[in-house]
Amino acid sequence: MSGGGQSRARYPDADGFVERDGVRVFWERYGDGDPTILFLPAWSVCYSRLWKGQIPYFARHHRVLVFDPRGNGRSDKPAEPEAYADVEIAGDAFAVMDAADTERAIVVGASMGGWYGALMAALRPERILGAFLMCPASALGEQSPERQEQAFMDEVETEEGWRGKFNRHYWLRDFDGFADFFAGKVINDPHSTKQVEDMAGWIRETTPESLIASACAPFSSLEEQLDVYERISCPVVIAHGDADEVIPQDKGVAVAGAIGAPFINLAGVGHAPAARKPVKMNLLIREFVESLRDAEQRGETVTRIASEESVAVQ
Amino acid sequence: MKRALFISSPIGLGHAQRDVAVARELRALVPDIQIDWLAQNPVTKVLEEEDERIHPASEHLANESRHFESESAEHDLQVFQTWRRMDEILVANFMLFHDVVTEDDYDLWIADEGWEIDYFLHEHPDLKRANYAWLTDFVGFLPMADGGEREAFLTADYNAQMVEHIAAHPQVRDRAIFVGNPEDIVDERLGPDLPMILDWTEQHFDFAGYISGFDASEFADREALRAELGYGADEKVCIVTVGGSGVGESLLRRVIEAHPAAKRAVPELRMIVVAGPRIDPDSLPFLDGLEVRPYVHNLYRHLAACDLAVAQGGLTTSMELTANRRPFIYFPLKHHFEQNFHVHHRLQRYGAGRRMDFDGSPPDAIAEAIAQEIGREVDYRPVETDGARRAAARLAEMLN
Repeated sequence: MSGGGQSRARYPDADGFVERDGVRVFWERYGDGDPTILFLPAWSVCYSRLWKGQIPYFARHHRVLVFDPRGNGRSDKPAEPEAYADVEIAGDAFAVMDAADTERAIVVGASMGGWYGALMAALRPERILGAFLMCPASALGEQSPERQEQAFMDEVETEEGWRGKFNRHYWLRDFDGFADFFAGKVINDPHSTKQVEDMAGWIRETTPESLIASACAPFSSLEEQLDVYERISCPVVIAHGDADEVIPQDKGVAVAGAIGAPFINLAGVGHAPAARKPVKMNLLIREFVESLRDAEQRGETVTRIASEESVAVQ
Repeated sequence: MKRALFISSPIGLGHAQRDVAVARELRALVPDIQIDWLAQNPVTKVLEEEDERIHPASEHLANESRHFESESAEHDLQVFQTWRRMDEILVANFMLFHDVVTEDDYDLWIADEGWEIDYFLHEHPDLKRANYAWLTDFVGFLPMADGGEREAFLTADYNAQMVEHIAAHPQVRDRAIFVGNPEDIVDERLGPDLPMILDWTEQHFDFAGYISGFDASEFADREALRAELGYGADEKVCIVTVGGSGVGESLLRRVIEAHPAAKRAVPELRMIVVAGPRIDPDSLPFLDGLEVRPYVHNLYRHLAACDLAVAQGGLTTSMELTANRRPFIYFPLKHHFEQNFHVHHRLQRYGAGRRMDFDGSPPDAIAEAIAQEIGREVDYRPVETDGARRAAARLAEMLN
């Protein structure tokens, strides 16, 4: 597997598959400290190697769970859009927790995973201790002007830019072209050749058919999303780069506002903070995890964190 | 009491040997210093022999040598790409370092090619909480010819980031020490729009001279040393070594194949193959009259006593041989820019060693070269012996 063949800093202590409605999803467990941290997938353009900068560190202190999303890694690639619905990914995540005998976990998500994590916290509040969500996908907030030009389902007049390349017809014609384009947008930070190569390699591990199905999956409406954000009762932190070209920071700010969560500005960072700024993100996630544990040890019931916070990453 | 944390690169054994020498000199200058090592195999092999203090967190380091071995082919290591593909391991090991220095206060951090320390401290200068010194024996990633435009672009991009890091955060490295002299630096640019390596290095580094980890004058009585090591006056001793990584097994096998022909040409030949700490000696072919040894501590003493050595193109072994004025044949690993360019340039300057190409050297050619080189008088440029003391003096400035 490209990008997946290189030796790892740490190998899983357990792994397996969960199966829901005939779709098999591959998961891994590392380490055994409390509390458990579940790192969520971020759409089927990548699999759990996305978290390679986090797993070895957190596994020394915590129990870490990861899984490959439907459409990538060792998980199945179903053909139907319904199989990629947000509630299905959340369902997979809870099934992975069950398979790993995990009652409760802190969830960490990025991009689409930022939405999956919020959805999990609203659906099963008794199972989610907290959520650290990076550059979350959301119907809230403004989309960038370039992306507003997209016409995913249509034949368009160009093969350039978001309009030309974020297009199902183009994906079927030149999936490699999409992989290179999208990887460059996800990791637009300077001096990031390795991260871009990794990302492009992970995209090539799905298929255009699978990715089109996932892009056409049923997704919560704006009203449903607002309702989810309103129902979240656990502590949440939102972190978002101000150089993000895939999901503009405005969306993360809007999500933090809707949840009432503190917002961390990642100055100069693009759409993959965990890959491009792994050390800083590890320390921010660790701080969040420690704050929950400290509060629990003091016997406090932690609900939402309400302070404002801005951290310069560079 | 002052406390220092030493991070010594585990790629090969060379850093360990010289870092132990620097630590010894540093103790002489700062008697109340305690030095801990955050280190992994094969460095720990040297440290254990020297009774150095290995930080207990070291056992959690992700192994870099194993990664390098996993990326190597027959006498071939694309070292730049291998290093890039170690990104996950470097993050993990920096996080461990960060945990260690968060729990334990040190006055000084010393990183000898501890890439993760230097890179992430420049990415996040707010994480620096002690004096910090950086040591290296080369500056600049260089592309191999067959890597084409892509590799030239990538190496220049990494070099550009280094230049930008140092310019933006000059406070991170309190000392930057080049293990060598300005003349050891290749006549190349860091990249098309970047400075010459020599100019940039002279602006940003102190030069310690070469750090050999031993004093060649202690071997002035070579006959006594040979007697101590069990090498007879009438024997012609050839030591075959590939240093501390497990990458060199192909070369060991090739030279073993050359042994019968070499023995016919040089009847007094006594060939000793040193497998090193990461190659199982029992995995190598057994030949009559050939000695295979596992890891040999203080191998440099044997190299000082030998009549010929056959080695890879690694800096430490070749410079140990140069300092001891012994003839040697070296085979740079294919696609290893450091061995092919940086080390080769340095050896040319010292007039030391005979370079051979692994692919173009069947066993008979190696046997012939052994016969020509063994016992030959050499005329190398002398190697300085005060490098460790000079490096330690720069470190001590931050503690006194």
